[in-house]
Amino acid sequence: MSYLIIEGLHKKYGQVSVLTNIHMEIQKGEFITLLGPSGCGKSTILRIVAGLTDASAGKISIEGKDMNGVQPKDRQVGMVFQSYALFPNMTVHENVAFGLRMQKVNKTDMEQRVHEMLALVHLSEKANAYPKELSGGQQQRVALARALIVRPKVLLLDEPLSALDAQIRKKLQADLRSIQRKLNMTMILVTHDQEEAMAVSDRIFVMNNGSIAQTGTPTEIYTRPNNEFIANFIGHYNVFPRQSLEKMLGKSLIGQSTKFAIRPEALHLDQRDGDLCLSGIAKQSLMSGNIIRTTFEGEMTFTMEQLHQQGYSIEMGKSYKCYVAQEDVIALS
Amino acid sequence: MKKRGLADFFFLLLVGYLLLPVLATMLYAFATKWNKSILPEGLTLKWLATLFRDTDFIQAFGRSVLLAGGAVSIALLVIVPAIFVIVLYFPKYEKWIQMAVVMVYSFPGIILAVGLIRVYSKIGIPMIFVVLGAYVVGILPYIYQGTRNSLRNIDARQLLDAAQLLGASKRQAFTKILLPTVYPGLFAGALLSFSVLFGEFVLINLVVGSRFETVQIYLMKKLSTSGHIASAVVFIYLVLMGLLTFVIAIVTKRSKGATNL
Repeated sequence: MSYLIIEGLHKKYGQVSVLTNIHMEIQKGEFITLLGPSGCGKSTILRIVAGLTDASAGKISIEGKDMNGVQPKDRQVGMVFQSYALFPNMTVHENVAFGLRMQKVNKTDMEQRVHEMLALVHLSEKANAYPKELSGGQQQRVALARALIVRPKVLLLDEPLSALDAQIRKKLQADLRSIQRKLNMTMILVTHDQEEAMAVSDRIFVMNNGSIAQTGTPTEIYTRPNNEFIANFIGHYNVFPRQSLEKMLGKSLIGQSTKFAIRPEALHLDQRDGDLCLSGIAKQSLMSGNIIRTTFEGEMTFTMEQLHQQGYSIEMGKSYKCYVAQEDVIALS
Repeated sequence: MKKRGLADFFFLLLVGYLLLPVLATMLYAFATKWNKSILPEGLTLKWLATLFRDTDFIQAFGRSVLLAGGAVSIALLVIVPAIFVIVLYFPKYEKWIQMAVVMVYSFPGIILAVGLIRVYSKIGIPMIFVVLGAYVVGILPYIYQGTRNSLRNIDARQLLDAAQLLGASKRQAFTKILLPTVYPGLFAGALLSFSVLFGEFVLINLVVGSRFETVQIYLMKKLSTSGHIASAVVFIYLVLMGLLTFVIAIVTKRSKGATNL
C-alpha cells in the first residue's frame, strides 16, 4: 500500500476550479516533484496535504490514516516555504527548536537534536544569529532544519529554492537530495523549474490547469512527453503538425497522432543510416555555455542544440540539412 | 562655503523659533521672578514643589493617566485582535478600517463634542464613559498604523501556518510568534496613543468639563491664577512626553529580530 494517497481531489474557489480530480500515490522515501507553470494548482495541493486549505472534495491518507478533519498541527507533515517563514523574533537555535518545544521534548534531547540538525545543514556556527542576519541560502537551510527536526512523515517543499541565485540553488538542490536519501524521508517538492525537477526527483507529476498532465521518472518525462504542453514545458522541443512534418520529411509517419515532437539535441548534421532529414537556413545562433542553440527556417522553423566544441561552426544564412533518428520523432497525443 | 553658512543660519533660526517658546515656558517654571529682565532674576523649585503638594493636581494627573491608559487598554484589547483577524483572514474588509481611520482625522473636536452631547446626554450613560469610548475610536489611526506596519514587514499568515505545522495551536502561534514579532510596533502605537490622549483638551472640556478634571483642564484653570504653576504643569507634561518618546525609540531599536514600527 502506498505511503501517501491522494484520491479524487477537487478544489474550487467560488465557481473557479483550481484542482480537478487529482490522484497521486507516493511511496515511503520517494522524492516527488509537482512541476508546472505558475497558477496550475501545485501549491494548493501542498496546502491541502498540510491541512492549511480545505479540499472541496477528495481524500488524503498518510500511512493508511485518513487526514480529513485532522488539524495541521496533528498531521505530522512538515513544510518549507518559498519565503522561508522563519520566526523573526527567534534565533536560529530557537527556530529549529520550536517544533520540539511544542512537542515538549526534554531539554537534553532537544539540545542534542538541534545540535545534530544544525550540523546536518552546516549552520552550527550561526546558532545564535537572528534570521535577518543570514543570507537567503542560510535562511532556507534553517527552514529545512526546522521542518526536519520534528521528523515529519512527509515533508512538503513549496518552491523553497526559487528566491536564490543559480549557484546557491544548485548547491542546495544537491544538499536537499542528499539529506532526503540519508533520512529516507518522503518529500514533495513544488517547482516551476524543470531542470530542478529533473535534478532531484524520483518521479515527477507535471501539472497543467489544475490537473496532472503526465507522471513519470525524469527520464520518462523528458524523453517521452505525451502531449504538446509537456513537450513545450519540459524542454525546448520542436513541435510539428503532422502534415507539415510529413511534407518536410517527404514521407508518411506511422500512427494517428496529429502532432510530433523532436528534441533539439536529437538533431545532428551528420547523416546516419535510416535518419530522417529536415532542411532549413540557419537564422540565429545562441550560445549558452556548453550548448549552442541554432534556429533554422525552412518550410518550418526548428531548433538544433549541439555541444559547444572547438572547430564547430554554423554559418548564418547558409542552407543546412539536419538529421534525426526515426525513433527520436515522438508522436504526441 | 557661503551657501553652507546660509543653510546653517536658517537651520538655527528654525530651531530657535521652535524651541524658544518651549525653553522659555520651562524656564518660567523655575523662575523666582521674571517680569522686567531678559533672563529670570533667580531660579527656584518652589513652583514644582507647590504643584506636587496640590492634591488637585495629583488627582488630575491620576485621572489623565486613568482615562488615557484606559482608552489605550480597551483599544489594545478590542481593536488589535480585530485588525489581526481582518488583515490575516478577511483582507477585503481592510478598506473599511482605512475609511474609519480617515474619518477620525476628518471630524473636528468641536463637532464631535456637540454630536456626543446631543446623542448621549439624555440616555443616562455617564458622559466620562462616552468620552472614553470616543477616545478609543480616536486612537484607531495610531493603533491601526502601528499594527499594520508591523504586519506589512512580515508574511504573518505564513508564520502562523509554519508554527501550526510545527505543532503549535492557533493560540500558541499567535502568542509565541505573531505577538512578539509585532510587539515593538504595537507598543510604540500604544505609547503614541497614550501621549495624544494625555494631552487632549477639547473633547473632555466640552463634554465633561470640571466634573472630571484632567491635567489639561487643571492647566487651563491655573493659567488665570499663576503663570509659574501653569509653566510647571507644562514642564511636567513635556518631561513625560519626552520619556515616552525615549521609551518608544529604545523599544523600536532594541527589537532584536522583530519588526519595527
